[in-house]
Order: sequence, then C-alpha cells, then structure tokens
Amino acid sequence: MKKVVDVSLPVGPIHPCFKEPCRIKCETRGERVVTTEVELGYVKKGIEKIMIGRPWQETIFLAERVCGICSVVHNTVIVEALEKISGITVPRRAELLRLILNELDRIQSHLLANYSYCYTIEHETLGMYLLNLRETAMDSIEMMTGTRIMAAYVVPGGVREDLSADNAAKILEATYHIETELKRFVKMFETGPMIGLRSKGIGVLSMEDALASGVVGPTARASGLSRDARKDDPLYIEMGWHMITRTESDNYARIMLRFDELFQSLTLIRNGIAALEPGKIRNGGEMKAGRIKHTIEAPRGDLTYEIEIDSAGQVVYVSIQTPSIPNIEVATHAMMKNLASAADVTSTFISADPCIACAER
Amino acid sequence: MTVFTYLREFCRLSWLKAFFTVKTPPLTKPSYFRDFPELTGNECTHCLSCKMICPCPGAIDVVQTDGVWNPQITQGHCVRCGYCVEACPEGVLTSGDLLARKKEQGLVFAHEYIITIDTKKCMGCGNCTTACPVNREIDPHMGAGGTSLSSDVLIRVEHGKNTVKHNELCKGCKVCMDTCPNGAIHVIRNVAALQEDR
Repeated sequence: MKKVVDVSLPVGPIHPCFKEPCRIKCETRGERVVTTEVELGYVKKGIEKIMIGRPWQETIFLAERVCGICSVVHNTVIVEALEKISGITVPRRAELLRLILNELDRIQSHLLANYSYCYTIEHETLGMYLLNLRETAMDSIEMMTGTRIMAAYVVPGGVREDLSADNAAKILEATYHIETELKRFVKMFETGPMIGLRSKGIGVLSMEDALASGVVGPTARASGLSRDARKDDPLYIEMGWHMITRTESDNYARIMLRFDELFQSLTLIRNGIAALEPGKIRNGGEMKAGRIKHTIEAPRGDLTYEIEIDSAGQVVYVSIQTPSIPNIEVATHAMMKNLASAADVTSTFISADPCIACAER
Repeated sequence: MTVFTYLREFCRLSWLKAFFTVKTPPLTKPSYFRDFPELTGNECTHCLSCKMICPCPGAIDVVQTDGVWNPQITQGHCVRCGYCVEACPEGVLTSGDLLARKKEQGLVFAHEYIITIDTKKCMGCGNCTTACPVNREIDPHMGAGGTSLSSDVLIRVEHGKNTVKHNELCKGCKVCMDTCPNGAIHVIRNVAALQEDR
C-alpha cells in the first residue's frame, strides 16, 4: 500500500496556545502539514435550548454567556432583534452609549486576539504589553457598566445606566493612552524581523477561497473582502466609520488589520463621546410577537440571531450564528492547507481569532 | 560578559533601591464595581420585587429572622446583575454605586403579570382558583370547584373553563402554576426598563 501521510499529528484538545479546548488533527508529510481537521465539542453549553420559554430579562443574561470575550455584542444583538420585532425606539443618547461600549468591547477583544497570536509565535513580551494595554479598555468598560465582562448593559428601549461627564472624560483619556501605547507596539510588530519570518506569507487565504467560503470579520477583510455589517448602520457612518481592508491575506495581514481597526475604534469612541447630548437613556416598550433575523458586527465578524418571540416576549425559537463557525472552518480547510511547518498550525489557527465558546455556544 | 558585569549591574544604588522598595500596589475594588448585593439597613416590606425580577433561580430569597424580613443572597447562584437593587422600591439592597445612580438618574423597572390559560388543556377543576391567595382574600367562601359569586376575583371557573377576570390583581406568586395538574395555566412577567423624568 502506498503511504500517503507520514504521521497524523494531534494538536490539543489541551494546548498551551489555546484559550479554549479544541483539537486539530494534522496529516503531515515530513515537516509539511498537508491537511488539517478541527474537532470541536468539548465545551458545548446548549444555550439556545435553555433560552426557550424565557422572557428578555432572563435571555439577555444567557446570550452574554455564549462568549466571555465579546459578551457585550451578544447582549446588543439579542436586544436589538427584540426591539426590531416589537418596534421599540431607542433614544439617541442610549444608541451612542451602545456604540461606545461596543467599540470598547471590540478594542479589548482585538487586543486579546493579537496577544494570543504574539504568544503563539513565542513573542511573549509584545503579547504581555498588549495584554497590559487591554486592562485600560477593561477598566473603561468597568467604569461604564460596573463589571468587566457580562455587563448586561443593553436593555430593550435603552441602556442600564447613564455615563456621567466625569466618566466620559476618563474614557476619553483612556483612548489617548491606548493610542500612544499602541503606536509603539504596532511599530514593534511591523518591524520585528522574527515576527515577519513567522507571519509573512504564512497561512494565506486567497481571495478565491475567501469568496467561496463564508468567511467573515477581520479574517475576510484581511483577504480583501469588503464584508462588515457596520456598513449598513447609519450611526456608524455618521460617526466616521469606513471599511478597512488589506490584500496580503496572510497571518501578518490579519493581525495588522486588527491593529488598524483598533485605531478606528478609538476614533469612533471619541466621536461618539463628542456627539453625546443630555437626554433620556431608557424608553421601555412593550414586546410584540414576531420573528426576525438580525445581524451586527461582532469583533470576529457577522453575528446573527434568528429569534421568534410570543406576545409576552418569551422566546419560542432562537438560533445563534456566530462568526467563529465559518472562520474555524475556513482556517482549517483553506488557511492551514499545505503549511511548511507544523509549528505554523497553531499560529495560523489563532490568527483567525477562533472563539470555541462562540462556535459551540 | 563576566560575573563582574552582573555584579556591577546589580550593585548600582538605583537598582538596589528599586529592588527593595518598589511594590505592586495592592488590589483595590473600585467604588463602582457591582459586587454581590448587600443590605443597606432600610426596612424590607416583603414585597418580593427583588425575587420576582431575579434572572437566576435560587439566587435571592426573602427570609424572616427574629420577626424581621430581609433578602438573602446565595452567592453561588447570583450573577451580580444588580436587577434586585434597581427593582427594590425601598432601597434595601445596594451594590457598587448602582443605588446612587438609580436615585440620581431615575431608573425604574415597570412590570405587569399576564395570566394565560390554554383552554385545550384546562379541565375546569378549579385547583388554581382556590389556591390563589388573592382570590382567597376577596372571596373566602369560594367553592371547591373554583366557582364564585363575586366577579371581583382574579380568576374563576366559568362554563367549565378557568377565566381571568382581573389580570391587574395578580401578584405573580405562581401558586396557580404549581397546583395545575395539566400545566394549562401560565403566569408571564412583563418587564420594561424605564426612566423617570428628572
């Protein structure tokens, strides 16, 4: 019998580079990795099933617990879906506060993603710098909502608490601190010769592969695709949002794209704080029966909730489509195909920012 | 690079000073951190608003000790959402600066209860109507079959089916749900997050 592969190399389920358990099965020929397959299912929670029959004041907490990193966006998307079904309007101040919090959440998520990548390519110094910087964003979130994660800040018809002028000034100060520090770290990443060797030209996701697959978020934008749910949001356009794409399509491009988006998020937060006007932050509103599919841009890509509620606002059906599901598939079948070294498997996988908790919800 | 290089490096006064004096600042909890709810000392009126809004089963209970009612938090179940702090009309509970923000910004949770009856499942046994504490107060002589002469009651059996007469009287205790043998009755709590005019 002809020998096709030398060794089947399992990576995981517990691996120091992964934040969460998942198993990558690699088929190798010598040092070269021919194909890979990802095995999930170690942290299945079944949140969609638990949500059924519960009113919004309970489901928003469950939605947040899908993912510990991007909990704010899960809260926002389920509440916005319920608002769209019921025709509830949100005061402008509350909309802006939601935008500010979502962008703070994006900052901490992207910093964590880039930390993970630096840690995976053994550049722990830069990784720890980024992780330290993330604390500034986390402190701002805590100041705004009262907790670092799982804030349950967004409620139907508005937000939980108002942002005082003092706290807004502190958040503004934090954005300037993040910007000055981040410029140094981006320069370190851009010019580091070892980082370049581990990142440039590795894990290339070609435009054709990206188009053929359902890849979303920064992973798609790093391959030149203009996919971002924020382009349909008039508030984001008003705050000066624009599409950022890169064309290199490799690990380096994905990390650099996240750095670029961080600077954009900082600008969006500043514009949002400048546009804040005194006013109400909550409207209340009555739930109506209906079904909707609602998508917004999570830090990792398009997050879609398909939800049906009855006249009392209780969930009848819910389906959570997280961005990590297509991104993990694409990372496995398109990015980690024919890699030059087994050492690039983890770094390529992490560069797509896979969130196992999101994918298994 | 010899051992003397290192010795010279570490024998610098500034290095030694830093080594012996610099410390990580102690971890402190910011004033706005939303921790587990604590009692403020205000008198609890046993209205159960906190228990009714709590999203986590078994996280909060209102118990009587030495004749005084007070909410009790089970920390393993509580997710520190702060809903009970916001829902309590008497300000019995506090968590971080949430109570101060609630008063300052006029944050309230309005709620109502909706009783729904599945007429296909209801067999008109009247268990729910006789068990309902609101009904018992209005009509103490309510019949065993759940029929009542008074039309002021919350629910009563009419033409062999349970009928809701005054939905607004419901206190949300869900005793009717527990006593129904067919699971025909369901009490839904509708909450709206509102802000009072300042």
